[in-house]
Amino acid sequence: MIPKWIQLNNEIMVQKNGSFQFDKDREAAKSYFVDYVNQNTVFFHNLEEKINYLIEHEYYEDNLFNKYEFKEVKKLYEYIYSKKFRFPSFMSAFKFYNNYAMKTNDDTKFLERYEDRLAVVSLFLANGDMKKAMEYADLLISQEYQPATPTFLNAGKKRRGELVSCFLLEVDDSMNSIGFAINSALQLSKIGGGVSLNLSKIRGASEQIKGLDGKASGVLPVMKLFEDAFSYANQLGQRDGSGVVYLNVFHADIHEFLDTKKINSDEKIRIKTLSLGVVAPNKFIELVEKDKDMYLFYPHTVYQEYGVHMDDMDISEMYDELVNNPNVRKKKIVARDLILKIAQIQMESGYPYIMFVDNTNEYHALKELGRVKFSNLCSEIAQLSEVSTINDYGVDDVINRDISCNLGSLNIVNVMANKRMQETVHRSMDALTEVTDKSNISIVPSVAKANRELHSVGLGAMNLHGYLAKNKIAYESKEARDFVRAFFMMLNFYSLERSMLIAKERNETFKDFEKSEYASGAYFDMYMKKDFRPQTERVQQLFEGHVMPTMEDWVRLKEQVMEHGLYHAYRLAIAPTGSISYLQSSTASIAPITQKIEEREYGDSKTIYPMPFISEENYFYYKEAYDMDMFNLIDLVADVQVHIDQAISTVLFVKDDLTTRDLAKYYIYAQKKGLKTLYYTRTRKKTIDECVSCVI
Amino acid sequence: MRKFEAVNWNAPESDYIEMLWTQNTSQFWLDTEIPISKDLKAWSKMSDDEKLTYMHVLGGLTLLDTEQGNVGMPLIAQHVEGKQKKAILIFQAAMEEIHAKSYSTIFTTVASSDMIEETFEWVKDNKHLQRKTEIIDDIYKGIRDNDPVSLYKAMVASVFLESFLFYSGFFYPLFLAGQGKMVASGEIIKLIIRDESVHGVYVGLLAQEIYSRLSEQEQQSLYTYVHELLIQLYENELEYTENLYDAIGLTHEVKKYIRYNGNKALMNLGFEPHFPDEEVNPVVLNGIRTETSTHDFFSTKGSGYQKGKVEPLQDKDFVVLNDRVKQSDIF
Repeated sequence: MIPKWIQLNNEIMVQKNGSFQFDKDREAAKSYFVDYVNQNTVFFHNLEEKINYLIEHEYYEDNLFNKYEFKEVKKLYEYIYSKKFRFPSFMSAFKFYNNYAMKTNDDTKFLERYEDRLAVVSLFLANGDMKKAMEYADLLISQEYQPATPTFLNAGKKRRGELVSCFLLEVDDSMNSIGFAINSALQLSKIGGGVSLNLSKIRGASEQIKGLDGKASGVLPVMKLFEDAFSYANQLGQRDGSGVVYLNVFHADIHEFLDTKKINSDEKIRIKTLSLGVVAPNKFIELVEKDKDMYLFYPHTVYQEYGVHMDDMDISEMYDELVNNPNVRKKKIVARDLILKIAQIQMESGYPYIMFVDNTNEYHALKELGRVKFSNLCSEIAQLSEVSTINDYGVDDVINRDISCNLGSLNIVNVMANKRMQETVHRSMDALTEVTDKSNISIVPSVAKANRELHSVGLGAMNLHGYLAKNKIAYESKEARDFVRAFFMMLNFYSLERSMLIAKERNETFKDFEKSEYASGAYFDMYMKKDFRPQTERVQQLFEGHVMPTMEDWVRLKEQVMEHGLYHAYRLAIAPTGSISYLQSSTASIAPITQKIEEREYGDSKTIYPMPFISEENYFYYKEAYDMDMFNLIDLVADVQVHIDQAISTVLFVKDDLTTRDLAKYYIYAQKKGLKTLYYTRTRKKTIDECVSCVI
Repeated sequence: MRKFEAVNWNAPESDYIEMLWTQNTSQFWLDTEIPISKDLKAWSKMSDDEKLTYMHVLGGLTLLDTEQGNVGMPLIAQHVEGKQKKAILIFQAAMEEIHAKSYSTIFTTVASSDMIEETFEWVKDNKHLQRKTEIIDDIYKGIRDNDPVSLYKAMVASVFLESFLFYSGFFYPLFLAGQGKMVASGEIIKLIIRDESVHGVYVGLLAQEIYSRLSEQEQQSLYTYVHELLIQLYENELEYTENLYDAIGLTHEVKKYIRYNGNKALMNLGFEPHFPDEEVNPVVLNGIRTETSTHDFFSTKGSGYQKGKVEPLQDKDFVVLNDRVKQSDIF
């Protein structure tokens, strides 16, 4: 029979006197605790007994607690419990107990409450420093900062997965490299990672192999191999591995690549579970605008001619050269046909994601260190990468840098309420840094190398729409844009400040800091010219009581960064925030809501979730994304993007009476407005498997 | 000499025909698009009774879709006036075949060969299932040339089949999917429901067209016929439900759901509901609710993917876009 709490939760939708029964949700949350959680929690007489038991039975890492006096640990637990946290909705409680709480080995009883998890995460991150542990505890129980799922789930456990879960790998145009990438994909899927692969270097179909024409099979069979690899490595059957493959739009196989997602494509070439992304240089948009023909290039012939992969080139700059070089094999298509095809396939399948690679590299403070070539499963990561050379047995490989992402998000509502943003951002950066320091993905040496040298993290934010609605500001208004300009300027400021302070404390910067635009000071030009503090009265009111960096503060920060350096090569990235935004009872990422009352099938449950703080009063301010003008959404994201050194997961929401022309216009507008990436396009009511692994 | 006419889509037969064609074709899907293997874990955790019910439910649905695709839709299409109307019916018949096949896709992915064979034997032996198929089949086969009354009856049977008789079977997959079990298979069932609801509305419209042209006397006798047929099928359906669901204790819930859908079938035919309003299990209702927009047939807000509508970019688009970029700089 159906449990009472699910029944109650579903009854929200049964209208009484013309309105939804929101109070049923609190009843559902309560019933879930009383009738389920409490009855299925292992009982201990006191904290000491509990911790000892959990260490003894190999649930917790013992050296986690050895670093602290028990007396102090007890104080920390008491502090967290004294805050009397209660989940405001069934969804948030259910998310925690179903997905995060530690359970007995046979999966039948809970061993942790929410408060316990927070305590363990705090102790884990503080690494023996009790003062810091208390600070983290305060940050977490006030729900100002939420670590990404892999960190939150695994911290402090004896038997645990990795703390980071999103990886990006380059694939070279060789059998050794493809094999190595498949192995890496398997290994990373095994530990719960989502993997992105850059296929743009792979030679096109019918290119030469060992000088023989027409022998190469192109990228499609490679995609098939990855698709099968990801479904094989399914973490004890819990969930399939997930992956995305990126291809440059100028690659000769681009049409076939996109056709794999067509509804009526042949089973042999159809790609079901693998996600797709395209890398779109500005040249492509330019050819579209001028309605020109467009040449696709065969990458192997480019490599043979120039000794450099097409993927490592600035194609926009090299385009004419490649077109005019008779030794480069090419084929001609119409640029507008291709963009419409991308739009059509997006309407049919949600894919591909799009990376505007030139925007990314133009606003890239590390351009002298390397190029950004592709993004990840959630399209918020934009970091440099270099392909490794994998040799035969007995010959050393040349290992270069791939990418991993270690994420966390601020809850805007609580950060704004507590008015201590400097402290909040500093502590959050510390928490992410701790994870970077503790991570060593030795099974994929290129990932470990990048982490060692660059210490990249990605701090983001969620609950933007929740915050705006709560304060009765429309998402598409000038005030909303004014708010994000100021908020994300502050986020950028304080994250730079903290990164600089860590570099100073440790006397260590990321590798080759001196070649970056942070070192030259060029990065700060924007802040020297423009004041990002709020201009509208309404938003000025919202920031009352907050300490906001002035232009003078930016001058001072610039000098400090130039002097002491930065510890992190990359600091900020705005993830889509799936599970953790439910945990935080917040709206996802900086995106608009999709439904005032969401019905969510998460693969493991069907749950009704009214938006946070929703009431008759602010109902109007919760305009649904599908009813918004996507040009307005892009404007807002563009205002955020200037403060974010990596990218922002940006979903376009459209109604299905839209045509390919409408959608293509959004892409072009996004490119012109400086967006770095576009994530899914969602048609109203569409259910797409969300990016499960790095939706944090 | 006879003159054969080609179907002419430039001259729509009625104002709704184009919309129906578009709605039907834009919903096209194939069973192989859904990764059913994701359900293997959930399947392995179900009890033997639950598995058996699930198999029988799908077995019953397979038979009904077979009947509808092989007999019902083609016969109605053959006798309906209008080449575009026929085209839509034939397209719908093809979808019925995809439905019938998709249950097998679920079978073959999750169940053993023995279980599959047992299910097809059960289909042949279950008297309630056979009975309802027989009632419907007789009405289909009873269509006579140039006889609107027999054609109307067949359309009524078709609407009852698609909007009413399927739902005793749909209940269980929806009920499970609502609790996060057999979710991929649930997805298939939802796609089928999405189709059946459009089919039900369309055939219902055709039936109402015929009905409105009949004499008052004929209408009266058909009104009685429709309600008697409903009750006849309903009583059989109750026993079928007991047969299927007693073992897992859901009979009561399913019966409410049947009455709920019986009313909907009547409404498709333009009649008032027959059964009193009841609260249907919200988990099951919400299961279909994700699809509400397509239940609501005249709105083309479909769920799931859609065939994209292609329209070329124009040079003037770039003038507008470049202007907008300039105007967006408000700070």
